Amino acid sequence: MDHRLYFIIGDLLSNISVAILMAVLATLLISTGWNMFIAMALMMLLAMVLCLFPALLLGSFFGAHEVMVPVMFSGMFSGMFSGMWLAMAPVPVLQLVYLGAATGLVVICIIWFINAQLRGIRTTGIS
Amino acid sequence: MADPATRKKWDKAAATFDFMSGGGEKRWFPFKTRLFGHMQPGKILFAALGTGLDIPAFPPGMSITAIDISPEMLQRAQPRIDKYPGKINAENVDIHNMPYPDNHFDQVFTSCTFCSVPDPVAGLRSLNRVLRPGGALYMFEHTGSDYFPFKYMLDLMTLITSKIGPDMNRTTVANVKAAGFEVTEVNNLFLDVVKTIKAIKPLGNL
Repeated sequence: MDHRLYFIIGDLLSNISVAILMAVLATLLISTGWNMFIAMALMMLLAMVLCLFPALLLGSFFGAHEVMVPVMFSGMFSGMFSGMWLAMAPVPVLQLVYLGAATGLVVICIIWFINAQLRGIRTTGIS
Repeated sequence: MADPATRKKWDKAAATFDFMSGGGEKRWFPFKTRLFGHMQPGKILFAALGTGLDIPAFPPGMSITAIDISPEMLQRAQPRIDKYPGKINAENVDIHNMPYPDNHFDQVFTSCTFCSVPDPVAGLRSLNRVLRPGGALYMFEHTGSDYFPFKYMLDLMTLITSKIGPDMNRTTVANVKAAGFEVTEVNNLFLDVVKTIKAIKPLGNL
């Protein structure tokens, strides 16, 4: 992860806000009684595409790839989980906000961990 | 003759380029400064200059030939070129058809260039042609990923981003090798997506 506070806050803010947005957007489309798997798949696809637009905007402040890649996962998982939940039972919006925030936080932490494993210099096995 | 479709795309992107690239420039400026710190007195080629966002990361006092396919981008780069404490000769040139003689440059630098060059291997072969044997190629690039699920995510993003700007799924390290360079170092900066690449033109290419 980037150790500069501006980018740590930016990564957190981007992922949490987009994940919340996707969770709340699911309420406009999915209602109780939907097939749970259809709701999950539909929200996964929709969220992946929709979250590209806020990601492009946030990327202009915090870096394109460094925002877009994690934000697409945060949006995708948040959309999937909220779609499934809404298909099973009515869910208050505040609960979806919590779900989105938790999803965004977990995703960016996982991305930071994977980044720590992949980053660094390689001088062998590349030619 | 410059590829008109590519030129048009980047002319169109020029107006919002600084805004869209602002975050990345802030994040990667220290790494770019380190990479461009390898510039040494001699003939240096920089491809592609864009709006000149990389110029503040250049060490002072160099003499640099900087090319870009987009006249609109170069026009916006002019104030940064004027401020540079050295010499930058900016030219509107397509990387596929560079007017420079073989083995002309001592060093070649790129920054987020090969996400956008339509035929990356041909573009890299052009750089190979104009670089002297033993000369070094230094690149700051974003590429596709070798790892699931990032690889597929970047393929999906490319469906959209390639319409307005760069591809997100290029195999640039493999392309550098395919163009005849010897890759000596790859430094992953974000996942295996944003990276610096160092390569040399083998002496055997003489």
